[in-house]
Amino acid sequence: MVRLLKTIFLWDLLQGLWVTFRNQNPKYICTEQYPSERPKIAERYRGAPRLNINPDNGETLCIACNLCALACPENLIVVGSARNEETRRKELSYFTYDTSRCMFCGLCEDACPVDALELTQDFELASYTRDGAIWDRQMLEEGPKPSKYLS
Amino acid sequence: MPESTFLDVNELVLNMGPQHPSTHGVLRVILKLDGETVTGTECVIGYLHRGVEKIAENRTYIQFAPYVDRMDYVAAVSNGLGYCLAIEKLLNIEAPPRAQAVRVILTELNRITSHLLWLGTHALDIGAITPVFYCFRDREEALKIFENYCGARLTTHAFRIGGLQYEVYDGFEQEVRAFCDMFIPKVDEYEELLTNNRIWVNRLKGVGVLTGDECKEYGVTGPVLRAAGVKWDLRKAQPYSGYEQYDFDIPTAQNGDTYDRYTVRMEEMRQSVRIMRQAIEKIPAGPIMAKVGKVVKPPAGEAYVSIEAPKGELGYYVVSDNSTQPYRVRVRPPSFVNLQALDRMVRGGLIADVVAIIGTLDIVLGEVDR
Amino acid sequence: MADEEIPASAAPPAGAPPKVAAPKPAAAAAAGAHAPPKPPPAMAATPWDGPLTGSLKQAFGDQISQYSTYLGQNFVVANAEALDSILDFLKLEADFDYLVDITAVDYPKAEKRFELVYILYSFASNERLRIKIHVADGVKAPSAVHVHVGANWLEREVFDMFGVEFEGHPNMRRILLPEEWTGFPLRKEYSILKQDDRWVKENLGIESGH
Repeated sequence: MVRLLKTIFLWDLLQGLWVTFRNQNPKYICTEQYPSERPKIAERYRGAPRLNINPDNGETLCIACNLCALACPENLIVVGSARNEETRRKELSYFTYDTSRCMFCGLCEDACPVDALELTQDFELASYTRDGAIWDRQMLEEGPKPSKYLS
Repeated sequence: MPESTFLDVNELVLNMGPQHPSTHGVLRVILKLDGETVTGTECVIGYLHRGVEKIAENRTYIQFAPYVDRMDYVAAVSNGLGYCLAIEKLLNIEAPPRAQAVRVILTELNRITSHLLWLGTHALDIGAITPVFYCFRDREEALKIFENYCGARLTTHAFRIGGLQYEVYDGFEQEVRAFCDMFIPKVDEYEELLTNNRIWVNRLKGVGVLTGDECKEYGVTGPVLRAAGVKWDLRKAQPYSGYEQYDFDIPTAQNGDTYDRYTVRMEEMRQSVRIMRQAIEKIPAGPIMAKVGKVVKPPAGEAYVSIEAPKGELGYYVVSDNSTQPYRVRVRPPSFVNLQALDRMVRGGLIADVVAIIGTLDIVLGEVDR
Repeated sequence: MADEEIPASAAPPAGAPPKVAAPKPAAAAAAGAHAPPKPPPAMAATPWDGPLTGSLKQAFGDQISQYSTYLGQNFVVANAEALDSILDFLKLEADFDYLVDITAVDYPKAEKRFELVYILYSFASNERLRIKIHVADGVKAPSAVHVHVGANWLEREVFDMFGVEFEGHPNMRRILLPEEWTGFPLRKEYSILKQDDRWVKENLGIESGH
């Protein structure tokens, strides 16, 4: 009998509708207004790669050991090094990082012995050309510069 | 062409997919129809084939780990756990207890995200649009925990061979606890929306029945098997990663129809929360990494290790030849094997039910095709 | 090289921390037999003897040539011809009613290059068993579809990837790759960069990108 009444008065549907109305309370809004509102990015986020430079003297931290290139599953890192005749040390000459093939697994930053290569919180990596996705040393040191939107 | 055969035509071949929203990816199903009734099907798969097993043979053991996340991309953590366990088995080591506890928490969290995605899209297929928004809203909370823990949301690469790469962050426990507290009322809310809803019940009850014996015949595992009344869960049958310490139930149902699979999965989410609550209370202190050399080089041999992924038994059969690269990695994908039973389930049913049955199988095409 | 290659099996020496727990005594025995530093890279499997081996030996005699266990996982090596009856026997007599997986491993140098691996599971006894058979290139393997229906797609995948045909299979076609594809990608001589250039050009209209 109760069941029949419930069926006739659409109890099951009203029950569901009540959930919907309850959730319309403005305090449950969880939409993020990107890009006018910057999303919160986790500290450990694996985003755009960066080659860190020593803040004291502006020199790169990279020692050109090639471990990141060996660790990379996609072989997308190329490290070039040359021996400095004065100091007898291996120095970084060029560094390219192909972000178009990168899957941001973080193995390269795990492999880096001096914390020079790091995946940062920058996530806006789009570029208009395919070549734009291949980053050279300068780009890696300065980081991406996405266009800013007016808000 | 012979004379008009129009009146003789009683069978229609209909193509569904690969670009069809309710195939959850790029699955193509060729349906043979007699009126509204399905008399036969054929699945055409492989649109997402990337050759993961071939890639494995050309990468080192450590390098291959990120790739397994891309098979079942909604349950990447489970994939990673299975792979790490398989290699650890070959190396004959075990992750330290602290790593195991964190692994269990993240894997159960991942089970919830996978089931939430399934629930939202499955309900969307049936025509209920509301649940998908709620599911994705709550899934977001879990994904934030992944992001905070390992820096990625979907393809996490959270585990490493031998343990964990990352120590848990400050506030991990609180966040997981807050998620558990938040989530149980949400499951009740989904159930309020769907469980008694007459449209939902009528669309699902008695649709796509697969009995327990048929499941075993086809090798179907996971919630589909449990909904058919077989109380079998690898977490209980062959515990791995310390699951034997936790107290939880294996939800089962009797009829093996689409509605039962829905109830089983809903209950599984609650059980996952239960496991997480127990695990978070007693994360042991200690190291997070077992002694593994910089270069992983297992002795020659082979091992098959399987885990209970959200979709069923996910197995890795790894053959090592004592080099740094695996000789052969075979993935036993639950979606691939479960999808095979689609023909049995839709045969004799209505064409509208095909959508419901594909949804209830909870396939991920990235895993079917690898 | 900066990073020395440490064979991980050699990592736990006498004073190893206790967290390196051996799952089963048989496994410990298998792993304990450290392979010599250089070849042979053969699996250090130990003979397997249990209640099941007795009945298998009685039923099949010399059709099964090897009963082994490695890391606590049992496997047998059988003759290809006997596979049907072994699967049948295991399903009916020993409750191995769930065919988990069929796969293959390619050993190009071996006389019979393909090793087909059948992984079985028994719900009743919670036990796994692997059956291995060896087939040569071009030789058909017996199909298991009439014993386990679920073997259908798994065998098709083996055919697709390795080119091993199965005798008695109802639908022996490619499953993941396109039907007109030539070559079998998981064979060892198939390079990772290789693809069917003709097919790619005809169907996708692009020169292959390598």
